[in-house]
Amino acid sequence: MPSNPFPLSKERLLEVYRTMRTIREFEERLHVDFSRGDIPGFVHLYAGEEATGTGILCHLGDGDRIASTHRGHGHCIAKGVDVGAMMKEIYGKKGGACNGKGGSMHIADLSKGMMGANGILGAGAPLACGAALAAKYRNKGEIAITFVGDGASNQGTFLESLNLAGVWNLPVIFVVENNGYAESTSRDYAVSVDSFVDRAAGFGLPGITVDGTDFFAVYEAAGEIIRRAREGGGPSLLECKTVRFFGHFEGDAQTYRPEGEIENARANIDCLKKFAAQVTSQGVISAAELEAIDKSVLALIEDSVVKAKAAPLPTEADLTTDVYVSY
Amino acid sequence: MTPSNSTIGIIANPTSARDIRRVIANASNLQITDRVNIILRILTSLSSMGLGHVWMMPDKSGQAAILIRHLKREHNLHHSFPKVSFLDMAVTSTVDDTFTATRMMCEAGVKAIIVLGGDGTHRAVVRELMQCGSTIPIAGLSTGTNNAFPEMRESTITGIAVGLYATGRLSADEALAHNKTIEISINDGERSDIALVDAVISTDRYVGARAVWKTESLNSVFLTFADPQVIGLSAIGGLLQPVGRRAPGGLAVHISDDIKQQKLILEAPIAPGMIRNIGISNWEVMPANKPFEVTLKGGVVALDGERELTFDDKDKVTVTLRENSFFTVDVTRCLQTAAAWGLFHSSPTTAILPEGDTCHA
Repeated sequence: MPSNPFPLSKERLLEVYRTMRTIREFEERLHVDFSRGDIPGFVHLYAGEEATGTGILCHLGDGDRIASTHRGHGHCIAKGVDVGAMMKEIYGKKGGACNGKGGSMHIADLSKGMMGANGILGAGAPLACGAALAAKYRNKGEIAITFVGDGASNQGTFLESLNLAGVWNLPVIFVVENNGYAESTSRDYAVSVDSFVDRAAGFGLPGITVDGTDFFAVYEAAGEIIRRAREGGGPSLLECKTVRFFGHFEGDAQTYRPEGEIENARANIDCLKKFAAQVTSQGVISAAELEAIDKSVLALIEDSVVKAKAAPLPTEADLTTDVYVSY
Repeated sequence: MTPSNSTIGIIANPTSARDIRRVIANASNLQITDRVNIILRILTSLSSMGLGHVWMMPDKSGQAAILIRHLKREHNLHHSFPKVSFLDMAVTSTVDDTFTATRMMCEAGVKAIIVLGGDGTHRAVVRELMQCGSTIPIAGLSTGTNNAFPEMRESTITGIAVGLYATGRLSADEALAHNKTIEISINDGERSDIALVDAVISTDRYVGARAVWKTESLNSVFLTFADPQVIGLSAIGGLLQPVGRRAPGGLAVHISDDIKQQKLILEAPIAPGMIRNIGISNWEVMPANKPFEVTLKGGVVALDGERELTFDDKDKVTVTLRENSFFTVDVTRCLQTAAAWGLFHSSPTTAILPEGDTCHA
């Protein structure tokens, strides 16, 4: 049996693969179910970006908080939110993560440190600063992470948060998931100083760029900046260059993308394929072990869809519950 | 200066100096706008030397977009620049872009390639030039993290030196210098690569975030040159037994955590802002063309600061120093020669003086 060259045990590597595969199959299934008209509202799918969310969030515990985006399913799954509750939520059913009243863009589970997906672009950054300030007062080494896309990084809230985090030396990490498109607008057109690392530098924060489609690159870089934040080193920015396999939203015709771009991404920069090749080529995990996970994940997703469809809708009486949080 | 039909290539890596060393060691971050300013200064120099056309590598990281905006601004201000053409290539935002751009510049017949980046970017350009069998020289400017190979130099001066060579004012013999490489071969060429400065054998066995900064994983360092003044893993050799950039041979340094194996502990600046103690078990000169076999069973080869090639106990890894591998524009010699020969002089009667200036000769 070859020795394991990776910075995670075999058991942890299998968990990582399961998480990434769960995100992928969750999104692939939503793509199909949404096109059938089964799902109310909008969904924005995370497929293709799994290594980014997983590589970062596998460093966190439940006491660490994250603020997600409109494209938040991957963050939820990687942060440990129950897949069945997520599916019910997206189907708008009772028993969902927010009892079916939030939908795709408002999934939250405070018990897991998941403060919520967010339909407002750039709105997660100040929330994460608040969570980081609380963590600083609690002084238990907890941190907060906010995710933002390349488009939302132009929002004032994001830039103000970089400043605040720098001034207060908050244990917060700004993750820019750079998939190249702000909705349908190319980054080249819409971002005046196109390096997100430069934006951090403008506020005195260190920033780094990694290949967001390589789990081990994300894992290692995130590990360093998270450790730094936990130890009082303050905020930093992590730009993950990644790719989305689907449109901005489901139903997006994607006429703005060059021909063959998605096919090429699926064939050559699929983070799941990369991960599988890395761990199997070193003989740490067998293809059969990965296939077994694939099967069990498919069964989990199928089960979650069946239960979501069978679950009841919220009632009129549910309108007045969960409006305010009790402390 | 007389107009020239020669063309120059510029490969500016938009994402150099972006790795993890900014977080762990306060390494600097050269902002995109500053990189564009460096390119604009190069273009000014090339224009002053009479060069009319420059090929550039495109990117999707904002550098090309900002350069185009600034060139429009400069055009409005009636400043003189060469025509800038971006290569018609698919941008992947990986090192493949550098390979592709280098190849296309060779095909376009550029006289020289100016490279902006760190050691890794320069390595990528040279690797592709060697693959193409090209003798096109490069001129390096430091915009990376570990900058042992490219020079910390004002880009205006580098642009002038390249212009002197590209326009034929200086010949290859007068303007260019030979450089060494380290050649890595796994299983007698099954996989191979090169390094311009350092090939480091590490006990890490995955590529991950690429940068090398954990000294406990270092096993050995093979160096083309070792300058006590440089930053990075080559500083280990530079502080043990300096080897000149143009001197024959290289240096192999063997590292050990085992106190019984250690001959000495060396304090070395292995990255910007990172000074570490390294246990040295042995070091030896690397004569050219003599293969050194790596004894470590399983690890990764880092080339010019980035983990690149993993190997296991079944692989045979050899490291060989090669001399006269590729050319660089020797900026110092170019400018000294140009000054000695009066290449920037002109007759007072024909000299173009700034508006409002008068000649008192």
